[in-house]
Amino acid sequence: MRKIILMILSSIVLLSCSKEEEYREINENLVFNVPDNFPAMVQDLSLNPPTQKGFELGRRLFYDANLSADGTISCSFCHEQGYAFTHHGHSLSHGIRDQEGIRNAPAVQNLMFMGEYFYDGASDNIEMISIVHIHNPVEMDETLENIVLKLKSDKSYVEMFKKAFDGADITSGNVLKALGQFMTMMVSSNSRYDKYVRKEPGGNLSDQELQGMQLFAQKCASCHTTDLFTDNSFRNNGLPPNPLLNDFGREKVTGFDYDRYKFKVPSLRNAALTAPYMHDGRFGSLESVLNFYASGVKDSETLDPLLHQNGTLGITVSENEKAAIIAFIKTLTDDEFIKNPLFYYKT
Amino acid sequence: MQSINPLAYSYPDNYSYTLINKMKFQIKNIAAVLAATALFVSCSSDDDSKIVEGTTGDAELFFDNGVAGDALILGSSYKNSNNETLTINRLSYIISNVVFIKEDGSEFVYPKEESYFVISQEAGLFTVHLESIPAGDYKSVRLGLGVDKQRFLQGETAQQSFWDLASANNLTWTWSTGYKFINFEGTFTTASSFDAKPFQMHQGSNTATDNYREITLNLPTTARVRENEQPSIHIKTNANVFLDGNTKIRLQDNLDGSGNAAAIMGGQNLIDIAANSLTFFEVDHVHNGEGTHHE
Repeated sequence: MRKIILMILSSIVLLSCSKEEEYREINENLVFNVPDNFPAMVQDLSLNPPTQKGFELGRRLFYDANLSADGTISCSFCHEQGYAFTHHGHSLSHGIRDQEGIRNAPAVQNLMFMGEYFYDGASDNIEMISIVHIHNPVEMDETLENIVLKLKSDKSYVEMFKKAFDGADITSGNVLKALGQFMTMMVSSNSRYDKYVRKEPGGNLSDQELQGMQLFAQKCASCHTTDLFTDNSFRNNGLPPNPLLNDFGREKVTGFDYDRYKFKVPSLRNAALTAPYMHDGRFGSLESVLNFYASGVKDSETLDPLLHQNGTLGITVSENEKAAIIAFIKTLTDDEFIKNPLFYYKT
Repeated sequence: MQSINPLAYSYPDNYSYTLINKMKFQIKNIAAVLAATALFVSCSSDDDSKIVEGTTGDAELFFDNGVAGDALILGSSYKNSNNETLTINRLSYIISNVVFIKEDGSEFVYPKEESYFVISQEAGLFTVHLESIPAGDYKSVRLGLGVDKQRFLQGETAQQSFWDLASANNLTWTWSTGYKFINFEGTFTTASSFDAKPFQMHQGSNTATDNYREITLNLPTTARVRENEQPSIHIKTNANVFLDGNTKIRLQDNLDGSGNAAAIMGGQNLIDIAANSLTFFEVDHVHNGEGTHHE
């Protein structure tokens, strides 16, 4: 039995629907639910338990371009809700002063169920994730200390921090905590597939989708495990390295050459929305991704052994099977998540 | 004492004068030594103020940076046994999780949430001031070099919003998230390469290896913490051990792709440096009493 009980997003809706004036003064703890079909949480919720005010503050910060040096780039610039919080239309995510990064922004969802973040595992702490983007010269090119100074000049922020953190001032730590609380609550678990496995209304899958689910279990689920559709490991999936980027992946973080070209196995939740694909966004469609696994895997010293079995590179999959697998992946789209007003802030 | 009191001795009548004289001389000597000892004992006894249960006092750790027995002067050069000469321009590091240990092994763990400090040669940060330590006689201290995993995962608040202080002293990592436990930088030359090339040694943990270490330091004299007495524990460091300790790390072997600079920031090097760093600190002496600070 799960000890952590229901996260009733609807309860937040109810709360925020109740009279603003009365409600403002109370900072309720938000209830975090582990969906029934999810594996156990990896992060410790008690380290930064989300509150209503902390969540609201984190949401405002997430959408605030003032977090960047010149006031142009917010978190939401690269993490757009409609695309499951990825950067649509760009293989490599853009940042401040029209610069380009070396990776494709990954989806922000279900972070409490992951031990490590970024394609290379540059962080293992949900509160500290934001540090990377804030300081990266091609993303926001700012410092936490300077963000604090900027926020302090805005009375409404001063007030929001006080409410969120028991009267506390704006500090680097509280900026990170608020963003962490917002991202903690970003759980996507209500796709058609979820309803199917939880036997809820609306959980109907077509024959092709069901066939795809079976094929997925045989051919994909050794890495895209559990209902998170990732084992959170780092693997070299045989992508030919892009010589223009020369991205060593996990090796950059660990310094071990056996980690060269290894990248984090992404969750496939909402994958139909998160094009382009792979760490460098090289593939524009799920079809291209499956074509790659069928015939494009390149051998190298660190290639994952699962993609080189019995002398065969990649995954054996027919055209019909590809279509079924893609049909199945599309059942992982969670409209409630991408349309949930709780995760949107009108700037 | 009774047994060597001259009055307690009875001398045989037939003892020769010289012998008696000699004995008297010895007895005088013994008496003098005894008197001196008594004086010494009573002096230190006066000094050894009583431990009042329930009271607390302060203590400080003073870090005196050096390189293989020489003082560390930024900009100066030091040759190591790897036949590399390092001109050191930066030495900063994080001290954490201080624990005071009594002779019986009982420990006082300094409150973790207040237990993160920066030592920086360039910023002149050498002293860690600690407050509200239970009065007592402490025989050793244990301290962390860096930020422990457990505490790191607890985020910023637990680290006293340590981020700003660490950031101001070049001890944060922002391309991955975390702290540099040690930032050791400068330039170096080798026997065959006289052009000075920059080197950077950034020690820390990453999501693959935990390179935080705790080190116990025995105190040559007891540190007495009292309400009105503040011991200052004078720790000498040896920055040579990072690269020239039990495991030798040659900067020349760690040149980056361009071959123009050495960068040590990951992999096995960090594990080796963590092991080498176990001998980085040594307590040189302890000042006891009032107002014996290093500042």
